[in-house]
Amino acid sequence: MLIAWSTYQRIRIGILRAVPWSFVVSRVLTGVTQIVFPYFIYRYFMAGSLSVEFAQYTGSADYMTYIVLGSALNVLAVSTLMNIGRALITELREGTLEMLLLAPASRTAYFAGCLWEQTLRALLEFGATLLVGALLGANLWPIFSLRALLAITLAIFSFFCMGILLSGVMLRTRDTYVTQNTLFFLMNVVCGITFPLQYLPGWVQHLAQLFPLTPAVALFRSAVIQQEPLAGQLDLIGQILLLSALYLLAGALWNKKLERNLMESIFG
Amino acid sequence: MIQAAHLCKTYVLRERNGLFRKKTRKEIPAVKDISLEIPRGSITGVLGINGAGKTTTIRMLASLISPTSGTLTMDGIDAVKNHLQVKKRINVITGGERNLYWRLTARENLRYFGNLYGFSGKELEQRIDRLLRTVGLTEAQNIPVERYSKGMKQRLQIARGLINDPEYLFLDEPTLGLDILIAREIRELIRQLAKEQNKGVLLTTHYIREAEELCDSIYLLEKGEIIAQGTKEELAELFQYKPRLAVQTDLPADSPVWEALRQRFPDHVQVSPDQPSAFQVEGNAQVWSQVLNLLLEHQVPVEKLNIQEANLEEVLTGILRRSREGKA
Repeated sequence: MLIAWSTYQRIRIGILRAVPWSFVVSRVLTGVTQIVFPYFIYRYFMAGSLSVEFAQYTGSADYMTYIVLGSALNVLAVSTLMNIGRALITELREGTLEMLLLAPASRTAYFAGCLWEQTLRALLEFGATLLVGALLGANLWPIFSLRALLAITLAIFSFFCMGILLSGVMLRTRDTYVTQNTLFFLMNVVCGITFPLQYLPGWVQHLAQLFPLTPAVALFRSAVIQQEPLAGQLDLIGQILLLSALYLLAGALWNKKLERNLMESIFG
Repeated sequence: MIQAAHLCKTYVLRERNGLFRKKTRKEIPAVKDISLEIPRGSITGVLGINGAGKTTTIRMLASLISPTSGTLTMDGIDAVKNHLQVKKRINVITGGERNLYWRLTARENLRYFGNLYGFSGKELEQRIDRLLRTVGLTEAQNIPVERYSKGMKQRLQIARGLINDPEYLFLDEPTLGLDILIAREIRELIRQLAKEQNKGVLLTTHYIREAEELCDSIYLLEKGEIIAQGTKEELAELFQYKPRLAVQTDLPADSPVWEALRQRFPDHVQVSPDQPSAFQVEGNAQVWSQVLNLLLEHQVPVEKLNIQEANLEEVLTGILRRSREGKA
């Protein structure tokens, strides 16, 4: 707890000193643009019409609510993965990794501190996306429910677990841009953010199931659009937890192995 | 005591020579069969030029990297297997400006690193106060590190390295690039840590004088191997080198003074090949004054005088040469 809290404070202080407040606008806009463009296309290009399949696949004809929920959760996923994933490589670039690895501190607690700090910022983007979405006509009132809150919490946890593995990948490849941008593009396309998965070829639909974002966004929509209790979505919850456990285990084991070899692979 | 026996470290380098070509595997031995001891209350020096294996040795001793072979124990505990246990009792201070969070203040840095070692609350704050006083940063404790001078950053590095009150401290060229006064302060602090606080200190350095001044025992490293070791008294003979007097004159190449110099000081005067009017004088102060007197007799004006100390590379070369001559 001490390490998580102090890591949270350390990142927070660093960001507040380095980044101007105007940066918040840029972060909020990132989320907002994700829904504004589909809104214009839907409203003015498609004139609000949807194919019959859309309603069949999603159980709803409310495209704006569908896309706002997907985009908002995608914003949360990207933000969590990006910040957890690049935590260690940032330490490497700032020259503090060696002393961090030298300390007998728990890495999980360190990552929890990173998660804590970034979640507060990501929730700002998430909230802005939902707010603008509501202004554009999305029906988001059911979001103020325990089931929606639990779905969001579960989603953040799964993104965190995936981020732990991503952190090892970034550190091993010493790359952040290609790794994160490729991954985020792929997730955006295959995880059912702006259109139902069923529009994609079968093998891509299977591939999509490897990302926690896919079941997480489905659970979130079912909690908000269909207002289904979580007890009725045990398959989705099970999938999220299973993927989280796998990513966490793979990430923790890899990072542990990597850590012993890290110093020589980086500095050797 | 930290005891390292027959430590070896070989780095494996995998290089791809083309996008679709197989990677080639190359083994680079960085440290070869090093055995050394770091007792508490003393300063152990590791001397060597760049690439000698000093930093790799420190990283192995600090459990940051695993040795390829050999054993490493700390007070009888296997330090390779129990590296987490060992990490609580050691710390590393490096030269340079890394290993600090530049956007944080000195106090915030020390608080964070203290937390990483499990310290918090009043105990930690009191320790930070004490360390800031020790390194003379109390006044500047609330200024972000990015605004610090190089010397201030180095002093903060020392405070960071002491935040867990380590029993063993590894100092990797801690005075590198610092001005004379700050380097002297840091050397004094290192001495106090070992002698007054009973810490086992390992110091790597480029500077022979620094090693002679501080270290109780010294290991000389060359290409990953120990080429000489002993107390500073034992190594004094090996370190024997005579400073040279560099003399800059305006003597023309055909001046008879050159002949006079060569005749009277055949073993001491060396003319610089790239500067025909300059020469170097080896030997003691008596020889130097005789040479200067001769110049005075011939009314040769001296434009510049400079005493040149031998650098580590020259001393190591000398030791290696003597060692080879001994073997032959």
